[in-house]
Amino acid sequence: MSTPLLEIRGLSKRFGGLVAVDDVNFCIAPGETLGLIGPNGAGKTTLINLISGSVTPTTGEILFEGRSITSASAFRRARQGIGRTFQIMKPFPGLSVLDNVAVGALFGTSTTAKALRVAREEAREWLELMDLSRHADQRADELGGPDRKRLELAKAIAMKPKLLLLDEVMAGLNHVEIDDVIEAIRKVRSTGISVLVIEHVIKAVQSLADRLLVLHHGKQIIEGAPDAVLADPRVIEAYLGRRRA
Amino acid sequence: MQLLAQILANGVLLGGLYALMALGLALIWGVLNIVNLAHGAFIMLGAYVGYYLFSLFHIDPFVALPVSMGALFCLGYLIQRHLLNLIARAPMFNTLLITFGLDVVLTYLAQMFFSADFRTINPGYAGANFTLFGITLPLVRVLAFLVAIVLTVALWLFLSRFRVGRAIRATAQNLGAARLYGVEPRRLYALTFGLGAALAGGAGDLYGVVSQINPYIGAALTAKSFAIAIIGGLENPLGVVVGGIFLGIVESLTALYVGPTYVDVASFGILVLVLILRPNGLLGAAA
Amino acid sequence: MTPKLKVALAVAVTCALASLPWLASATILQFSISTLLLATLAQGWNIIGGYTGYASFGNSVFFGLGSYGTAIAMVQWHLPFGVGLVFGAVLAVVFALVLGIPVLRLRGHYFAIATLALSQVMTAIVSNLEIAGRNTGLVLPLLNGDPLFYELSLALLVLATLTVFWIAHSRFGFGLIAIRENEDAAASMGINTTLYKVLAFAISGIFSALAGGIHAYWITFIDPVSAFDLSLNVKMIIMTVFGGPASILGPVVGAFVLSGISEILSSAISSVASLFFGAVIIVAVVFMPRGLADVLRRFRKTGWRYFSENVKKYRL
Repeated sequence: MSTPLLEIRGLSKRFGGLVAVDDVNFCIAPGETLGLIGPNGAGKTTLINLISGSVTPTTGEILFEGRSITSASAFRRARQGIGRTFQIMKPFPGLSVLDNVAVGALFGTSTTAKALRVAREEAREWLELMDLSRHADQRADELGGPDRKRLELAKAIAMKPKLLLLDEVMAGLNHVEIDDVIEAIRKVRSTGISVLVIEHVIKAVQSLADRLLVLHHGKQIIEGAPDAVLADPRVIEAYLGRRRA
Repeated sequence: MQLLAQILANGVLLGGLYALMALGLALIWGVLNIVNLAHGAFIMLGAYVGYYLFSLFHIDPFVALPVSMGALFCLGYLIQRHLLNLIARAPMFNTLLITFGLDVVLTYLAQMFFSADFRTINPGYAGANFTLFGITLPLVRVLAFLVAIVLTVALWLFLSRFRVGRAIRATAQNLGAARLYGVEPRRLYALTFGLGAALAGGAGDLYGVVSQINPYIGAALTAKSFAIAIIGGLENPLGVVVGGIFLGIVESLTALYVGPTYVDVASFGILVLVLILRPNGLLGAAA
Repeated sequence: MTPKLKVALAVAVTCALASLPWLASATILQFSISTLLLATLAQGWNIIGGYTGYASFGNSVFFGLGSYGTAIAMVQWHLPFGVGLVFGAVLAVVFALVLGIPVLRLRGHYFAIATLALSQVMTAIVSNLEIAGRNTGLVLPLLNGDPLFYELSLALLVLATLTVFWIAHSRFGFGLIAIRENEDAAASMGINTTLYKVLAFAISGIFSALAGGIHAYWITFIDPVSAFDLSLNVKMIIMTVFGGPASILGPVVGAFVLSGISEILSSAISSVASLFFGAVIIVAVVFMPRGLADVLRRFRKTGWRYFSENVKKYRL
């Protein structure tokens, strides 16, 4: 087997007395989509923050393309090819939708300084892909909910990452909008990049992910093919059982 | 040893007054997220209220305290209700600027009406001292210290025991929270700002008893209040007391052992260090 | 306007300004020098405050370091003025690097307060330094050459404005704006936020320091209180915000307009000038919170409603 794109070894994060992420181990292969599910407070967002570098781990190691990035700062990881979205969306509110995406094209993984004009042209293509072209000149804070989600996605893919971390991009959307976003993610995936999807909406992850990983109280309780994982009694108890209650 | 104890006592007494100065600033900052650059001007106005009540009507400054506080409460309430509420949702920088504009206007008006001369509130007992364990304690400073502590505790009780007080504290977490307590946000904002101004007014009245005043003392007092609010943290009034006393002691020690010209290096240097190392204040949770 | 026309207009205005010493009286020339220096300071603040969104109260420290750097080099070491200017700018850059790195980690009000405190510390340190003449300050050699000081100040302002123009159109500037709009998002998109912020702080500081150096030689006397005067920093902010933060000409226009008004008022009814200044700030913040540049851009479309819409947008 070739080197995994991302490898997580014994990763833990402690906030005071709370262990948010507890000895997690997994890999993501190039081109693979891994779904990360678990009840609220399971440590999903902390895990994404650890991988993207906005939080430093208490113990454990993160390898990207075989090299340790455990102590690299967030912007370096972004340049090496880790793009992310935020659960609480973080657009650049005062910039136009186009320029929001242009930031990704201008920085992101691009190593050469490109002209602003070129970055904006690239950004237009991403807006096209995300069906946002008609909003290009609006300010980002004027966008409605679903469009904001798409903008968050467009910003991340404009970085041309190798690995995309999606933190609950479907939360708060209705069924039609979820289908739209799933479609958008499929388009992104078809360009060959790996994706880590955190999601509460099980149906969405099930149809997207090649594999599923379940977190519960910061611990990883099972990992495997989506159907098998979702049928596992431990998962039903930890996650689905609780939702039914 | 005797000298050190005396210095510490001076520092603590000074610190109590410092705490009261900073309390209003911390309240307004913590709850409304407004850094009020006119805070020192409020203190200055409070001092003048005390001064005129004393020099025109011979009212004792400690008796005049509620008047100073009441006057500044009204001023603060009106300013927030009719001016600052207009920009409550603007970027933080705009609020910083507008309070600076207020500071300029208030200082100018004070200079126009009160003249630029130095004044002091000089009651008959101003020079009185008493001695405790060989330490000399000026009476007015001890009284000012006690009043400052009483007001701080009163504020703390108000914020934790009364419905309006709890609404104010809730607003610090979430701007919409006022409604949950059945208070209209615009009024709650005005009330909070008025309360902060009243504390400044009270501090000013006491400041006028222990020190000289003129219309220009505001800027330095604002800076000092910042230092204390940051060192103590914005979360609870008791932190501000600790911050005030800490700063009072540091200043007294620096003045004696390093030199009076280094007092500002010490106090503001500590402020910068606290900001960098413990942004939630000395007592606050580590960042 | 086409870009070519804009460039032609800019060159024409600069040439017209450059010819002022041959036309104006001594008093007007002096007023113009101080206005140009203020505009340079505002433009410098625009880089860190307007573009990067960090409300610096430390720019008066840069000004003071530039003043003292120049004065110490000239008075104590008998070096030429040019060397003094460079020395002052180097001091500013060192300050920006050494203190910028820890202080620029603070956000919002906390950064503002930290820089404010630093400026108090610097004033106090300088007034205890033997080489800086302690409390009494330093007296620089006298040079009677207002036209020279005028042209120097104008050149510096042009340089500062060109720098801001470059920032507004470069990858670097785009990064600064992204930091201002959302720093976490900027970092997660590959922007080296620490480096960018420190660079912006340093560039901003170089212009303030150079202005300080020119001012010191022009005024021939400096002391700690006037060289590190915090109200100068406040003026930079007001001029920038009044003109339009994060715009290329806003700070310059703001400085010209406000200096002009305050000069006219202080010669006519001297004592009311500061009251007016305060009132202008209050009214401007309420009715035109995004500065003159925004008024000019939007007023044509919305008319007088522009002002009431601003109030509606931000009130509680």
